[in-house]
Amino acid sequence: MSLKLGIDVGGTFTDFVVAEEGKPPRIHKTLSTPSDPSIAVVEGLTQIAASMQPPRTLEEFARSIDTIVHGTTVTTNATLTSTGARCGLLTTEGVRDALEMRRGVREEQYNNRYVNVRPLVPRERRVSVSGRIDRDGRELTPVNLDAVREALAHWRRDGVQAIAVCFMNSFANPAHEQAVAELVRKEWPEAYLSVSSEVLPSIRFYPRISTTALNAYVGPKLGHYLDQLVDRLNVAGFRGLLLIMQSNGGVISPQAAREKAALTLLSGPAGGPGAGLFYVAAHGQNRCVTTDMGGTSFEASVAVGSPMLKSDGEIARHKIALPMLDIHTIGAGGGSIGWLDNGGMLRMGPQSAGADPGPACYGRGGRLPTTTDANLVLGYLDPDYFAGGRMKLDIAAAHAAIEEHIAKPMGLTVEQAAAGMYRVACNNMAQGVREVTIKRGFDPREFPLIPGGGAGPIHGCLICNELEIPLQIVPRESSVLCAFGMLMCDLRHDYVRTFVARLEALDWSRLNAVVGAMADDGSRLLSEERIPRPEQRFELRLDCRYIKQYHEVSVPVPLDVVERRDANAIARAFHDEHQRLYGYTLEVERSPIEIINVRLQAVGATGRPAYRSERSGKADASYALKSRRRVYLPERDDFAEVPVYDGHAMSCGNHIEGPALVEQQTTAIFVSETFDCTLDELGSFVLYAKGREDLIGIAAKKEACV
Amino acid sequence: MSEKIDPILLSVYARTFKSITDEMSISMERTTRSPILCEAKDYVTGLYDEDGRMLEQTENLPILAFSLAPVCKHIRKTFDGDIHPGDVFFHNDVFTLGNQNNDVAVFKPVFVGDDLVGWTAVKGHQADIGGAVAGGYNPNAVEVWQEALRIPAVKIVERGKLRQDVWNLIFANVRLDMVQHDMKAEMGACEVGARRLVALLDKYGTASYRAHKQALFDATRRMMEAEIATIPNGRYSGEGHVYYDGRNEGSKFTIRVDIDVLDKRIKFDYSRTDAQTNGFVNGTYTSSASATILTLLQMVNPDIPHNEGMVEPIEIVIPEGTILNASYPKATTFGNHLCPPNADAIQRALGPALPDRVTAGWCNLLSSLTTGMDPNTGDSYVDIGFMGMKGGAGALNGCDGYDHIGMIDASGGVLDQDYEMFEQQTPHRLIKHELVADSAGAGQWRGGLGVETLFEIGSDDTQMVTFGDGDFEGPVGVAGGLGGGLNFIKLYYPNGKTVVPRNKDLITGVPRGTIYHQMAAGGGGWGDPRKRDRRVLLDEVRNGVISHEAARETYGMSEEELRS
Repeated sequence: MSLKLGIDVGGTFTDFVVAEEGKPPRIHKTLSTPSDPSIAVVEGLTQIAASMQPPRTLEEFARSIDTIVHGTTVTTNATLTSTGARCGLLTTEGVRDALEMRRGVREEQYNNRYVNVRPLVPRERRVSVSGRIDRDGRELTPVNLDAVREALAHWRRDGVQAIAVCFMNSFANPAHEQAVAELVRKEWPEAYLSVSSEVLPSIRFYPRISTTALNAYVGPKLGHYLDQLVDRLNVAGFRGLLLIMQSNGGVISPQAAREKAALTLLSGPAGGPGAGLFYVAAHGQNRCVTTDMGGTSFEASVAVGSPMLKSDGEIARHKIALPMLDIHTIGAGGGSIGWLDNGGMLRMGPQSAGADPGPACYGRGGRLPTTTDANLVLGYLDPDYFAGGRMKLDIAAAHAAIEEHIAKPMGLTVEQAAAGMYRVACNNMAQGVREVTIKRGFDPREFPLIPGGGAGPIHGCLICNELEIPLQIVPRESSVLCAFGMLMCDLRHDYVRTFVARLEALDWSRLNAVVGAMADDGSRLLSEERIPRPEQRFELRLDCRYIKQYHEVSVPVPLDVVERRDANAIARAFHDEHQRLYGYTLEVERSPIEIINVRLQAVGATGRPAYRSERSGKADASYALKSRRRVYLPERDDFAEVPVYDGHAMSCGNHIEGPALVEQQTTAIFVSETFDCTLDELGSFVLYAKGREDLIGIAAKKEACV
Repeated sequence: MSEKIDPILLSVYARTFKSITDEMSISMERTTRSPILCEAKDYVTGLYDEDGRMLEQTENLPILAFSLAPVCKHIRKTFDGDIHPGDVFFHNDVFTLGNQNNDVAVFKPVFVGDDLVGWTAVKGHQADIGGAVAGGYNPNAVEVWQEALRIPAVKIVERGKLRQDVWNLIFANVRLDMVQHDMKAEMGACEVGARRLVALLDKYGTASYRAHKQALFDATRRMMEAEIATIPNGRYSGEGHVYYDGRNEGSKFTIRVDIDVLDKRIKFDYSRTDAQTNGFVNGTYTSSASATILTLLQMVNPDIPHNEGMVEPIEIVIPEGTILNASYPKATTFGNHLCPPNADAIQRALGPALPDRVTAGWCNLLSSLTTGMDPNTGDSYVDIGFMGMKGGAGALNGCDGYDHIGMIDASGGVLDQDYEMFEQQTPHRLIKHELVADSAGAGQWRGGLGVETLFEIGSDDTQMVTFGDGDFEGPVGVAGGLGGGLNFIKLYYPNGKTVVPRNKDLITGVPRGTIYHQMAAGGGGWGDPRKRDRRVLLDEVRNGVISHEAARETYGMSEEELRS
């Protein structure tokens, strides 16, 4: 019997999902231990073991675990709090300030007090090395290794822990970087080494130097954390496979994570989209918008068959150009603070009361009104059943905060003000969903919404109304969506090579050689990670553009298209994607197409847990009715009494009509009056626009529940 | 109007308007070809009500902050009674409220049924729009026709049907094919915005929209009035200088502003400004007013929404015939770049009233545009030296100037070319692009650092246009702070000759192997340099952005302090 755990370390809680063959998944949460997050991991395992029937010791439990998939924000936090390693940077003479100047951007153009972000490597430790490669990869000047030796000697005395190397045009010829890397590895093997042609061998200097420096900056810290974690798990008795979550939605071995630590920088929410796909599969769908509402932020992403990838992003204003899931984050969480701007207009966030002091109703000293306070005043939350009753909410404090800061100045009642906060918060979230759908060329109405996070399903109906989305699926595990998603993740290794060529005059054997070399690298790494050849697959993408365009479009291309040298198929795929994204093509004009980068992802399939599906029961859910409560109904902008159901008592086939509330220990679901709700075989609450029963995938049930 | 104002719905409208113009902006970034648009983002997208009043806009470059609304009103008036669903207009004419010839705009009226409810608009700096010199910067121009093709408001699409003959007429006068594609991209972005506005009105109804947009203007106006009310009442005067008009050696012009603040209103009067020139260094009303507004916006709450209410309390008087508002048919292409001296005049004027909000001088624009043929690929290229033109921002009380973002008209909104893309798209080879030690004007708060750029020109018979200023007078220091240095561009020919182009110049036949050398100055400093924080100074000396000598002599650090 295989046992697999997803463990997701968050700011406040560490989430656990235990998946066992043929059983429903089991959820556990424990308080995080930020000073050494691995402590909470072992504490959680101990608590889970003790609560089992019959109870087990930590060692018994740990020994029985086959796989742990682990999501960590160690690198993210080091970057956000500027507590990464002391780094040195070796770069081409004449461009030592590129990392600091960031192409001369000031994000807030009207704010003269907005200061630049501190560079990851200060100027005194950015050393110019003479030596030059031209744009075609030819050497113009040999690399000066003496300058490198001098820098190393100095840095050793200066307490440097990590070294980044990035030279001009190394994407075209990495010889200089390789020579330097060889020298560093020989003379200073203990230093963490980050070389641009190994981390990101693609064109565009600033994104590459920034990514390479970020990798050096977080490398030592992640290495240290993984040592601690492996050690603690080992002591606990764990002998199985440990996998680490990456920003691209895949997992890697701890060793690979150590080498390219930057791969984990935006891995926090990366488990979500895969989980979303799992739940919609039960309804015969392969696309969805997954959202995750936390204390401070709201995240949204799209998946079509697989989660959407993008090839660059930012963290703390530093560019990172590694493939990552396309997840859009806005400042709209439970702790987001409501305020009035100078013109007297109501705004929500992005400032957040976070977990400490938290919303006013937490009674921990928070005095400012938050989304959670509004939800409480509107009746969506039960003050006596928050976190299953483990925490009492102070409704009077919520009232007082909203009254003082919103209702009074706006001349509204407290309930009107709370309703306004709720509507503005939902509108913000809807704009976040718009970012990942409409702005990426997708029609949101074709995507079921997965509202994750404990409070997410309170806001789902209004988001759906705003965007005319007719179907929502609220998983039982919605409060631990990311940890759950990690259990579905395959091993994924990304490779990229810059390969500038016109499609019409392509050197096919060279292209095939480049693709083959990347596939070989990927296959070797997957084999080291114990993935047998038949479980390995390779996904190819070509970054293409019409000649003289500046931005590329990344187009998936089946491997055999390159093998059989089918330029037409590549052109077709590119035109189509361009049409979808930007609404036009230059096909009729016969504008030549050029390839800029070749990207390959090596995927190693891992076993997915098989869950027991619930048997279909009766439609009548009256047995699960707990009480009735007065709540705000946004469609009629008024309050009314609605039934409250015990979600834990409900089962597959149960049907309820909106408006209604469903409560579980870690989730509250608001079914607004334009929606009805039914439970599917995974125990998910399926909310559909009234009259749209056709959206529920009865026919697909069998396949989904295998 | 009997429609009830729902204060919550008001927030929803405001947020949605912003999201519409942002979406239009992304559409532009992703579909345009000219690097001026997709890289430097020299365009603005906007949403206007039926009368052409600004509901929201996304300007990318601050200098475009106020450049569309006047034209929208102009079109509304000119075509009154002849505006129909499916129409689309083009416009660039600087003598009917355009700001710069190359900034070509698209306006699309938006209807619900037969009811005109608003406009979407996009204006972008096109790579060429005809005239005597490719790219538009013609330092020899004396009249508008030597600069560009004039497009007064023209209906390019009538009731959904493209007027192909008009289209052909326009683009027969434009050098680059790319411009047709980029104008289509502008039209596409307008369509994107129009769809969203219609969807919004379908949901809430036009009566609700009309009532709420007025409430939105009122709310924003109150915000702006509250900001102006913090400026003590009085008259404030200041000046800024413009050097060389491209024709008359040694010419110099003064921009003079008199600012009257009375309670909630502010008036900028430029009546005492010098007369226009017979060269191309003349502003248009729209470009000059935009410069005035962006400078004011940097002194108030940066979160003020950009709609009609924001500009209502502001009055701007710029008499025709001054260098900030040329009369027909004077040349005006350089007009946008009168923003830095205009901003200087305003900052110096308001210094006594707002000592904590004005900045010291910023690096003025000095830029170049090179064109030629890549000998390896046979392709022609055009490059605007974005990386080289940006020096330091001016310091203000309590805050150092930002490095490498100035001039003030861009304020960090224009990005450098990526070095490797620069070497792919031009035949040039980058030698150096770095911050320059001691370039910042010293002060308790120092100016932003300036930047030095060197590259080797890789094409034969290269043509170079220079345009800018800041090589006669550097950014000023304030409150005891020192000024920044001077801008320059120099060309070191392979035969040993050094050519120093004038700040507005056209140089032809630059040979391959020439080294291009440019300095973009640091910004001015604020306050006595000897009061600068010692720990920060030590850090800067260690990092080599302030030299030992400067630390000792300008900042007054002792040897002991320096050794610690």
